[in-house]
Amino acid sequence: MMIPTARRISPTWAPYLFISPFLILFAVFGVFPLAFSLYLAFQTWEPTSGLAAMQYVGVDNFAFALRDEWFWKSLKNTAWLAVASGLPQHLVAIPLAYFIHSSFTRLRNGVVGAYFMPYITSTVAIAILFSSLFSTDYGLINIGLQAMCQVPVLGWFMPQDPTDWLGQPENIKPAIAIIVFWRYVGFNVVLYLAALQTIPKDIYEAATMDGASRMQQFWHITLPSLKPMIFFGVTLSVIGGLQLFEEPFILTGGRGGSDQAGMTTAIYLYRMAFDFNDFGAASAMSWLLFIVVAILTWLTNRAFRPRGPSA
Amino acid sequence: MGQVTLRGIRKSYATVDVIKGIDLAVQEGEFMVFVGPSGCGKSTLLRMIAGLETITAGDLLIDGIRANDQRPADRGAAMVFQSYALYPHMTVAENMGFALKMAGVARKQRDEQVGRAAEVLRLGELLGRYPKELSGGQRQRVAIGRAIVRKPKVFLFDEPLSNLDAALRVNMRIELSRLHKELGTTMIYVTHDQVEAMTLGDRIAVFNQGHVEQLGAPLELYNRPANVFVAGFIGAPRINLIERPPVSGAAIAHQALWTALTSQTSTDAARIGLRPEHLHLAPTGEGIAATIALAEHLGDVSILHLRVDGVSDLLHAKVGANLPRCEAGQSVRLLPDANWALPYDANGRLIE
Repeated sequence: MMIPTARRISPTWAPYLFISPFLILFAVFGVFPLAFSLYLAFQTWEPTSGLAAMQYVGVDNFAFALRDEWFWKSLKNTAWLAVASGLPQHLVAIPLAYFIHSSFTRLRNGVVGAYFMPYITSTVAIAILFSSLFSTDYGLINIGLQAMCQVPVLGWFMPQDPTDWLGQPENIKPAIAIIVFWRYVGFNVVLYLAALQTIPKDIYEAATMDGASRMQQFWHITLPSLKPMIFFGVTLSVIGGLQLFEEPFILTGGRGGSDQAGMTTAIYLYRMAFDFNDFGAASAMSWLLFIVVAILTWLTNRAFRPRGPSA
Repeated sequence: MGQVTLRGIRKSYATVDVIKGIDLAVQEGEFMVFVGPSGCGKSTLLRMIAGLETITAGDLLIDGIRANDQRPADRGAAMVFQSYALYPHMTVAENMGFALKMAGVARKQRDEQVGRAAEVLRLGELLGRYPKELSGGQRQRVAIGRAIVRKPKVFLFDEPLSNLDAALRVNMRIELSRLHKELGTTMIYVTHDQVEAMTLGDRIAVFNQGHVEQLGAPLELYNRPANVFVAGFIGAPRINLIERPPVSGAAIAHQALWTALTSQTSTDAARIGLRPEHLHLAPTGEGIAATIALAEHLGDVSILHLRVDGVSDLLHAKVGANLPRCEAGQSVRLLPDANWALPYDANGRLIE
């Protein structure tokens, strides 16, 4: 069927029309909030009074954020959680991926799938599951610890009384870190497995001929070859870890837990906006957080820059 | 130092036999070439000597010591891979020194040994570079250098020149020959390229379907192939194999060709092999009638593909260039040199 000439889109505009669904969505949900939050960071605003209530305050919001004890506390919490959950993710995922890569053939996909499962499970479901596991009186974790108290020697290191995981400030962060670690380790395993598959087999054979043991091969061949993927994975962990929100938010009932022990920066700026109604300060904090993320990503890049000429 | 003896070596994967019993002794300092079509087991056997594949049955002896269960690095064998298998994240010097590092050799001594190997291979200026900054030929030299540094009893080459272009391959062949003379170390070299085999090998083992068809010096293999497989595998263009004509009803040309070929040898052959360079053109009136199906003029020689009445396969003749009457479709007369005729029995074995 011929389309009448009048209804045809000119070739100049056709590409833009086809790409417009993305551009429109990106403008509305990406560019606009970004620009608006930057604008808000220099305003004081009570949203319930309407847009007209905005007032320019210069860098006051930033000055407030930098003097705010809770903001610094939230940054410390975030850093603690990012390290305690992020570092083990990679330290476990790399050897685990190597082990799966070299030892599984037929069962491989099943094993990888099992590790990947938490990543695609709803955070709410995970939070409910772990709330039950971490429960003080009937939680499986405490029951397990109690049982281990009966074991000689090992029992000396076990707590004698049930631990209040989610109520005591000193326990909240480890509990959150365990969940985050558990959730993302499978994702990193998949990343590293993909990288391992690109290492040619004959390099390992050459190393075998050169007298390298399996351990030495891992150290001298596998790890250096994984470096680009380690950079990628660590960057994702840095960016994700510093914006940690969902897991601590649900586990601590949206308030950051007792003594704000589980309050990450993302939770705090959320509360700043929606609990304390200070959108200006919240926006300023979000931009400060962005600066921290940018600096750390740059440092990661420096640390994992490939040796030798441009990779 | 550097004797490799194989006794009844076998390899099977589940129910499939890949190597079917190989007995072979590689002499000290010898350049031994394993040649054969793809899938014949030559690479697998090399990898078994290296220790990269297990040996299902039989004994592998290196310098008289059973090496079946030795670690690859303890066998005193160094391997050069087809893909070079250089470590991409290490410099040339680090690549070459890796084995020494693994053996716990001190850094100073390592640098010294690497430097000496680099000198032999003229790699001195490249020591600080990374593999991706090198050309194919340079990478190959580094791979060989990595093997030399270890001072092995035996070098194992797995089709090392296959990834190089034709001109470079010729250069590397010469360089390998020079290296063998210089080092005097035993070398076992796997290839499917018969030119490499003929030019490099002191002796050649021709493989087919997991066993050795013939073992011998290059010209021995060329002039006296022990069976029709070796006869057909060595030499290009392929050797002519002419079937015995039927007792009755044979074509005149076929019969004439057979009679001419069997004038010098035993007459109970089932097939006669004759190299293309021993099939000459005869003046008009003499010889056997043939038609040219295709003529390939290479400049120095011409290859004629000839149809002889009654002979099922085309015959090949290598004749001088610029001969008259040498185009497709033309009729020629053939004169086989019966002194070079190779008689084969019904099982394809050379009748001595």
